[in-house]
Amino acid sequence: MIQFNDFSFQYREGTEPVLYNVSLAIPDGTFVGITGAAGSGKSTLTYAINGIIPHCYPGDFYGEVSVEGLDTIETSLTVLSQLVGSVCQDIDSQMVSTVVEDEILYGLENFAVPREEIPARVDEALNAMGIADLRNRTIDSLSGGQKQKVALASVIAMRPRILVLDEPTAELDPASSVAVFELLSTYARQHGTTVIVVEQKIALLCDYADMLVIVDQGRIRFADSPDAVLAHSDELLALGVNCPRSTTLMNKLAMQGMYEGPAVRNVAQATKALAEVLA
Amino acid sequence: MIEFLQVSASYDGEMAVLHDVSFTISDGEFVAFVGTNGAGKSTTMRLMNGLLKPTSGEVLIDGVATTKLKTSELARKMGFLFQNPDRQICCNTVREELLFGFQALGEADAQAHMRVDEIIARFGFNPDDEPYLLNRGTRQLLALASIIVLEPPVIILDEPTTGLDYRECEKVMEVVRELNENGTTVVMVCHDMEVVGDFANRVIAMTQGRKVADGKTFEVLRDDEVLKAAHILPPQITEISMILERDIAQLPEPIAKAHTLEQMVEAVVSAPGKRR
Amino acid sequence: MAKFLEYIPGNSLLHRLNPSVKLVCAVLFAIACFVCSNLAFLLLMLALALALAIGCGFARETAGLCKAVFAFSLILAVVILLTTPYGAVLITLPWGYIGSGSLLAALTVIVRLMAAAIPLFLVFYATKMTDITNSAVKQLHVPYKYAFTFTSTVHFIPVFMNDMSVIMEAQTARGVEFDTSNIIKKIRLMVPLCVPLLVSSVRKTNSAAIAAEVRGFNLRTRESGYKDYPISSLDVAALIVCILILVAAIVIASIG
Repeated sequence: MIQFNDFSFQYREGTEPVLYNVSLAIPDGTFVGITGAAGSGKSTLTYAINGIIPHCYPGDFYGEVSVEGLDTIETSLTVLSQLVGSVCQDIDSQMVSTVVEDEILYGLENFAVPREEIPARVDEALNAMGIADLRNRTIDSLSGGQKQKVALASVIAMRPRILVLDEPTAELDPASSVAVFELLSTYARQHGTTVIVVEQKIALLCDYADMLVIVDQGRIRFADSPDAVLAHSDELLALGVNCPRSTTLMNKLAMQGMYEGPAVRNVAQATKALAEVLA
Repeated sequence: MIEFLQVSASYDGEMAVLHDVSFTISDGEFVAFVGTNGAGKSTTMRLMNGLLKPTSGEVLIDGVATTKLKTSELARKMGFLFQNPDRQICCNTVREELLFGFQALGEADAQAHMRVDEIIARFGFNPDDEPYLLNRGTRQLLALASIIVLEPPVIILDEPTTGLDYRECEKVMEVVRELNENGTTVVMVCHDMEVVGDFANRVIAMTQGRKVADGKTFEVLRDDEVLKAAHILPPQITEISMILERDIAQLPEPIAKAHTLEQMVEAVVSAPGKRR
Repeated sequence: MAKFLEYIPGNSLLHRLNPSVKLVCAVLFAIACFVCSNLAFLLLMLALALALAIGCGFARETAGLCKAVFAFSLILAVVILLTTPYGAVLITLPWGYIGSGSLLAALTVIVRLMAAAIPLFLVFYATKMTDITNSAVKQLHVPYKYAFTFTSTVHFIPVFMNDMSVIMEAQTARGVEFDTSNIIKKIRLMVPLCVPLLVSSVRKTNSAAIAAEVRGFNLRTRESGYKDYPISSLDVAALIVCILILVAAIVIASIG
């Protein structure tokens, strides 16, 4: 469980808070998609979960954030990072190793996982991301999508209860983006892991997330199931959040009184609904 | 005019990344290159402004082979917007940044200053702002502005919308559309098919260093075989109309041909025999 | 093509050596080159280094490297040539002369620098950075923090070089004449690019530091390293050879 209680934060060098009065509860095992316009504070929200705030970026911290019952101010970053695995936006500078296998080992060695347990953990992480064949490749020689999977595997190897990812598909083409989300959600479902992912590609979030959080100018505007959030497509567009066109289409038809069902998330749902409308 | 005549290319003499690609882009077109990462799209862009020279075949810009020109000379004709604006921005103020291109070309005269002023007004920049303190979207706009201020006849955009939110993306693309309407040739690489569908008139699809399709935007994006070969999905409205066309017998023509949101809403509302 | 200082997978003699031993050997070799000024000995050392490079399959990388070191040492050599009048007069200069001794000294500098540099660079071509860190921590008892900081720095060199070339490309596309053949002009043009490079490097190092932190960098101890780096008879032999070379260098230097 991740709990924000009336949390506000202002970076030390900032002139105004980036987040205001955030209250949010994320139950275990939820797949959460966070989105919002640039500068809305969505990345800051994830830093508050993995402890980078307040431990790496100092500033004014109000209210309270707890992760698995631990207050993030009182708990050291080392303890928090064992619970929360993070993949940063710039994965190239996150990589510390030359070869894939060593990258997976890095965290395991740091957290002093017992030696006899390590080989199994490495195999497990590589297999979960479907990259067992990349084991001995140099990281340099990998494509963007493969690197993203390596970064994920290196975090998964530590078996975190919570995974935090900041725009994991920003540099990827649509096919690799879907592949990364597919692996991520399969892994999370099997292990009951909570996933927090910041993403601009809202269509992708709608297909995988249980909860969609829309941040606007430091405040949480929506935190609900994708269906419930997508029903407000006009408002989302005004906030600078792009809705899938299929959603906007059905919402527009609903306004014309042509469609009465719940908001659709994707093309498949839209065509099904349209087929009924046209029948 | 940009002509590719059976162009192959490779980096450092290693395996070819582009195989026998030919096409011609006429003045004033708006062309999008689509395909997965590694399909050779960025390589094609680099060949156009001479950052890369073909290993065989020829790239002609207004009839002159790029091998005969320096990239810095080509800069006058081909404005290139890189994916990451931070690679491009190098000055201390917005104004200096916009003047930089003129200085590089040795043309920083009174007229240049006037054009810079115009651009500043048009984009609503603060000329004294420090570029690195601006947010990502504004930096991207600044990078774009610093190129279009030179008024090149062609602009090349390498994934112009990456890392931008919806509003920033619309802003950048509206500027590009306006340029195109005023006669600038636009060539872009883009992964966002909604953007491609909204803005491009022509699409060239690539896969594994080869051209697999070249035609009007929606002819290419409605071609199942091309979509499969290039591993791309069409824009959502197009996909919906394609699926409906396949599944529903006697689907009204406007629905089957709808590409934009407005067209589709209109087509469904006016479709005969629907439920009220 | 392999980039500057980057690991190239393989299974040569150099790949199989223990990372720490490799590093120590390369340092011993370099010291030997600086202890002794005998040109014949230095030429022999250069030949040895080249043989090692070719034997381990790094001929191409070493050729590129040699060019760079040669260019650098050539500048030094010219300075020496013009400023140390020594030996039989060959050419008289307004402020002195170039002698046979100056020529010999200049030649010595070139050979020495090349002979000393090659093995050090070979270590980086034949060893994964991670292995150098881990082995240095385990065997040389270097504190992990220092070892990691060092290897991260080296790790970032190719990243920054890549950044620089991408930035230069972006500027060329804007009409900056980086494709000029005038080197002085090119260097002058590069100065303003330090700003974007600095911005991107500060950002990168900052996010790398945070990323390492959340992956438990602080917790690492000497014992928690997973891989062992046993010392084999091959390592002992390599070490002995390098010590003998150093001894020979000292002996030749003291006799000569």
